[in-house]
Amino acid sequence: MSRKGLVERRRFNRLALAPSLIVLFVIAGLPAIYLVVTSLTPFQLVNPGSSTDFNAPLRNYRLLPDDPRFVNSLWVQAKLSFWGVLFQVLLGMLLALLLHTQSRVVEFARTFFLIPMVLPPIVVAIIWKLIYTPDISPLYYAAGLLNIAMPSLTSSVDFALTAIIIADTWEWLPFTFLMVLAALQTIPDEFSEAALVDGANRLQIFFYITLPFITPILVISGMFRLIDSVKAFPLVFLLTGGGPGSVTEVTNYYAYLLAFDFNEIGYSSAVTIVMLLLVVAVSLGVVWMGRRREAMA
Amino acid sequence: MSGPIRRSASVRRLVAIGVTLIALLSPFLWLLQMSFKSNDLILQFPPPLIFTPTLQNYASLWQGAFPASFVNSLMSASFSTALALILGVPAAYALSRWAGHGKHALSFAILVTRMAPPIAFTIPFFLFYRWIGLLDTVTGLVLVYTSFNLPLVIWMMQPFFETVPSSLEEAALVDGASTRIVFLEIVLPMVTPGIAATAILCFLYAWNDFFFALILTRSNARTAPVAVVNFMNYEGWEWGKIAAGGSLVMAPVLIFSLAVRRYLVSGLTAGAVKG
Repeated sequence: MSRKGLVERRRFNRLALAPSLIVLFVIAGLPAIYLVVTSLTPFQLVNPGSSTDFNAPLRNYRLLPDDPRFVNSLWVQAKLSFWGVLFQVLLGMLLALLLHTQSRVVEFARTFFLIPMVLPPIVVAIIWKLIYTPDISPLYYAAGLLNIAMPSLTSSVDFALTAIIIADTWEWLPFTFLMVLAALQTIPDEFSEAALVDGANRLQIFFYITLPFITPILVISGMFRLIDSVKAFPLVFLLTGGGPGSVTEVTNYYAYLLAFDFNEIGYSSAVTIVMLLLVVAVSLGVVWMGRRREAMA
Repeated sequence: MSGPIRRSASVRRLVAIGVTLIALLSPFLWLLQMSFKSNDLILQFPPPLIFTPTLQNYASLWQGAFPASFVNSLMSASFSTALALILGVPAAYALSRWAGHGKHALSFAILVTRMAPPIAFTIPFFLFYRWIGLLDTVTGLVLVYTSFNLPLVIWMMQPFFETVPSSLEEAALVDGASTRIVFLEIVLPMVTPGIAATAILCFLYAWNDFFFALILTRSNARTAPVAVVNFMNYEGWEWGKIAAGGSLVMAPVLIFSLAVRRYLVSGLTAGAVKG
């Protein structure tokens, strides 16, 4: 390219990028900065003036470790994330193995397996509300026929979180399925062929060829789900409202209650920032693992 | 994949796939069939599997405030998609052709805005909107939705631009065309399928939002997902309406998902990295 062309190209690039960057700064950068600022104040909506009170900027953060509801919410989130991710990765892998086959019918059917993931999250929540509401639930009806006494899942201290984990797994299982299926399709046939010739059985092929091949994708899709597991808001909102007590009160939901129910904007901002830092830490982990995987490939 | 081992589906496998599919989709199908039942039938047990479907629930939705909320959803999703495309497509092109330093850092900065949980944005947006009067407006929703659609466009469009052979662009540049003309008249037409797929995914992400609409709207700009949930609070538990409303909210999603089947994977996994 000529020198004039290069200069022109550079000018074009700048012009093409500038509007996006400006808009992103205004609608994402500024809010982020403002969130940090409010987290340093005791801002309450009912208390004008509190939004500019910077006398004790770290007060909110000092309160956090001694707030049992906050500590509990991290713990609830950890449980929800751990079990959700575990089930989604395992079941997604099984589903991918089942559907990894060359057939027109199966290829067509794959799209339908993705439905739970593309549904609006609130519709997913409605669907599970339906299933967990005893008077109209087909699940409770079936349990009644089999003479099984079903506790009310979403209002029971023992089962409420499990009920959310089940719904979350249903919603996101297609994602891990999709990722693992993509990975399976990159495994060259020659490997398993050679193993078959050597007399390996199917389990051996799975453990010695398939599994090592898909392990990176299992880890990465698990990490993606881990990052996103803080977004289970519609399920918590509609199924349990954080209860009973605070058994299902994840950090995201607690921050929502603080800001929009209790009017504790400043404190809620601090909770959100701590949560954000945790998400960014996990995200950086994912990027780092992705890089390492690229380097290995 | 055309190795010597053809993994053709055995009958046993097909049966297993069929059973799994039915099990996985039955919760979804349950909501759908309920939307065609009258309230008496919904509460009737054992649930009659064969019944005369009725459109009564949909008709009652039509009479209420639901159509207005549907229009709000349509408007906020389409406008934010348009805005994100107008801003993001040229930016993605510039990034894909940018050889200089800082490309990765910039890309990552754009990505971070997509990873943040919605609550991180709602508090500042809520306060700003209250201050400048954008609470409960479609414009307000469009701006919030653009905050997550714009990064999606920038990230999803880059691979499409990378598939355009640079020899084509160079030839046009040698012939004296400006970069702007090359972009508009040569590159852009070649990535139209990518733009269409990206547009649909943006639309879906905005359409699926519940959280922002819950907090940033009241009545004027209330979107369909929030309106459906309101059937659970104020007017008792109108399961027929809830089922019909839920089905309507998911209808565009299902239609579009089928339309962009080919791009769905890249879009949804891109969305996963970013949001």
